[in-house]
Amino acid sequence: MLFVAVLFGIFASAEMWKPELSGGIAALTWGRLRYDHTQGILFGWLGNAFFAFLYHAVPILTGRPVTSNTLGRWMFGIWNFAIVIPGWTLVLAGFSQPLEWAEFPVVVDIFVVLALLLALIQFLPVFFKDGLEDTYVAGWYVIGGLVFTTLSYPMGNFVPEFLPGARGAAFSGLWIHDAVGLFVTPLALAIIYYVIPASTGRPVYSHFLSMLGFWLLFFLYPLNGTHHYVFSVIPMDAQKGAILASSLLGVDVIIVVANLFLSLRGTGWFARDLPLRFVATATMFYLIVSIQGSLQAQMAINGTVHFTDWVIGHSHLAMLGFATFAAAGGLTHAWRKMPGARFNPRAVEWAYWLITTGLLLMFVDLTAAGLIEAREWKAQTPWIDSVRAVRGYWIFRTATALPITAGFVALLAGLLTGDRVGESR
Amino acid sequence: MKSLRMSYLVAGLGGVGFFAMSVLLLGVWPGRVLEEETRRTSPKNPLALTVSEKRGRQIYAREGCAYCHTQQIRQLDADTVRFGKSTAVWETQFDYPHLWGTRRIGPDLSREGSLHSEDWQLTHLYSPQAVVPDSVMPAFPALFDGAPDRPLQGARDVVTYLAGLGYARALAEPEIALKKTSGPPANGDDAYAHNCAGCHGPHGEGDGPAAAGLSPKPANLVEHEYTEAHVITVLERGIRGSSMQAWRGLPHHDIAHTVRGFYRPVREPAPPPAIRDLGKQVYADHCAQCHGENGDGKGSAAPEVRMAPTDFTSERPTPAETLRALRQGVAGTPMAPWNTKLSEAELSAVAYYVRGFYR
Ligand code: HEC
Ligand code: HEC
Ligand code: HEC
Repeated sequence: MLFVAVLFGIFASAEMWKPELSGGIAALTWGRLRYDHTQGILFGWLGNAFFAFLYHAVPILTGRPVTSNTLGRWMFGIWNFAIVIPGWTLVLAGFSQPLEWAEFPVVVDIFVVLALLLALIQFLPVFFKDGLEDTYVAGWYVIGGLVFTTLSYPMGNFVPEFLPGARGAAFSGLWIHDAVGLFVTPLALAIIYYVIPASTGRPVYSHFLSMLGFWLLFFLYPLNGTHHYVFSVIPMDAQKGAILASSLLGVDVIIVVANLFLSLRGTGWFARDLPLRFVATATMFYLIVSIQGSLQAQMAINGTVHFTDWVIGHSHLAMLGFATFAAAGGLTHAWRKMPGARFNPRAVEWAYWLITTGLLLMFVDLTAAGLIEAREWKAQTPWIDSVRAVRGYWIFRTATALPITAGFVALLAGLLTGDRVGESR
Repeated sequence: MKSLRMSYLVAGLGGVGFFAMSVLLLGVWPGRVLEEETRRTSPKNPLALTVSEKRGRQIYAREGCAYCHTQQIRQLDADTVRFGKSTAVWETQFDYPHLWGTRRIGPDLSREGSLHSEDWQLTHLYSPQAVVPDSVMPAFPALFDGAPDRPLQGARDVVTYLAGLGYARALAEPEIALKKTSGPPANGDDAYAHNCAGCHGPHGEGDGPAAAGLSPKPANLVEHEYTEAHVITVLERGIRGSSMQAWRGLPHHDIAHTVRGFYRPVREPAPPPAIRDLGKQVYADHCAQCHGENGDGKGSAAPEVRMAPTDFTSERPTPAETLRALRQGVAGTPMAPWNTKLSEAELSAVAYYVRGFYR
């Protein structure tokens, strides 16, 4: 799924400097590929990776098996065969919604809500069996992530179909941010909070800071969404409130990341363990991307960079740098504990460097492109000048897909080749 | 232990409470305010979308146009100078779901309706690169029957939808039109190659890749002599009723130089006075009501015709081009063919005569 989503992305990026690549076939035009790229990353890659990790982590965190194996198979089936694959196909065939992070058509959305409800049944009851007193922070993130995603999903996916224009947009703004903030972030953080102590053998630095970070995150994240529509007709007070929440969120992220790094201090995390290195790097990207987020929500900066490639750089730092690194760390960690699994550290080492290099190059490239676009727009030059000015950057961006994709191939190879390391039962 | 459990309960409720608050504060409350504002500010009979516009809008949604084009002009100079006044709530009251977008690879389209003619839009949708050589917009030939002037229903709907964008606002506030600005000096040849060659052809012969789908056809700049002032006026205003748009932000002076450079002068012997008189007569009888007594395009019937008749004082076609226009008419304009109504002698006499107005 990851590979398909990445391929959609690569083709879409190439069509941005060579639009005739689609060969005039409607299903292969940029718009449809763009929908499938982001939805594929969200559902196909991150969704599957997160759930897979939960199957490993939840039983260990709670000391009990998840609710039901049969349910698990159903969830897998629905997620992939009623959501991802039909979603992709329908979008290519021309059935979709023009709403960001919500492009799959409404029929598919119904299955998403169903799958999320099943996930609640699957993973949550075990946490409540013994009461929540002893729940470790990773568990909290799992609970929070699943509950709030289920709550916010309908908001971004159904509401704008029924509320017109600006009013619907207010809800879209909330979901755009909740998809990242209430689904991807908590589950990625759950992985990080899980893998760090599990591979260093030391508890996190401060349970108090962990919990503080957790609650602040869930208080603040939902209040961020409107920062996607600064200088719009949405009431200024709502915009300002969202900007304030975005600033505070930056502070919260500093707390979370400080706690995580204090937990890592002195463990030699870089050389110690590859999954650990992935999650530690994810933590670093998390810090950078969040501070960038807080800054670009500020009106002065937002006015300049909004609508440009700068933001596309930001979202790749979040989805690829933070979420994907965490997911890769979580998966490799869990994989190695699986009976009879193979693990090839050299391939995974390659994966780490390839993805890191590709990501950083892409990020710098898109950020620069964004600034150039902003400059052209302000100078009121003809529109096409801004397109011509960044063409080279777009070509380079497609080239950065090379190391990133090679990295993913290496990651897969790392899990399929090498010695059997999994703990035998 | 009990107190801890209580505190989690409180925090848990608090968390859900905050989420609910976010929905209320950033979703429901703004919705209320916006609804109220729509009621207050909307024109009495807002123009709802027609059936064709609705279908066009669906295609627009399906093809991801909104991921390259915003429909939301922000309250910022960078936006309003280029696209016009910032978007009002009521303008979006028929958008289910909204198409605001968060990325601009192409320009904002909220006020697209008034910017281009229908044949421009069709040709552009069929092949953006034919019109704008450096465009990265995807082509949508699937909406056509093999040629830009053979649109299927889908393309017609999209273009109808585009034509309506901003129309309601323009009716409500006629002064919404953009300022026309002329850009800083630059290389005119370069600006021509990137902006004009798609229609007028690389050498000005009117044979660019977009020409096939356009009506009227792009002017053949080799066959026309223009005054500098004329070219600049055309660039500032565009030509109503044709795909020739107004050009903002381009160096008009430098481009005028390039355009005038394409013209290849033709030597023409002065005809005997008898022919001059015949030409004058034919002109007064048949042409002056449109092209004006003095050839300035301001004839008495001029306000009634769909396109401004040619002003011969600032524009002079070559003899061959003049005769061609007279024999065949100018397709896509009110200029009809005259070969059935006038004799060959009259045609060449009046052709000579109109070329004499140029100053
Ligand atoms: C990959 C991004 C992309 C997509 C997708 C896209 N466009 Fe464009 N569009 C552009 C760019 C870049 C320009 C500016 C260059 C040009 O005029 O071709 C543009 C220009 C335009 C213009 C002319 C704007 C003006 O005033 O000059 C219109 C109209 C337009 N697009 C309509 C559409 C429609 C309708 C769709 C969907 C069917 C669409 N676009 C999809 C990138 C895109
Ligand atoms: C979309 C196609 C298109 C593009 C792009 C275009 N033109 Fe035109 N242009 C036309 C058409 C069509 C006409 C003829 C209109 C008519 O018959 O009156 C025209 C007419 C003209 C004329 C003659 C005006 C007159 O009074 O007869 C000039 C000069 C001209 N264009 C210059 C330019 C320049 C300079 C550019 C680039 C900045 C440009 N055009 C870009 C389509 C285009
Ligand atoms: C109904 C009004 C009308 C009448 C009558 C009329 N014309 Fe025209 N003429 C036009 C219009 C409109 C155009 C097209 C302008 C354009 O393409 O932008 C035009 C274009 C032309 C052109 C082509 C100019 C060019 O740029 O290539 C010539 C030559 C011309 N007319 C000559 C004449 C002559 C000679 C007569 C009388 C026999 C005449 N016209 C009668 C309206 C008229």
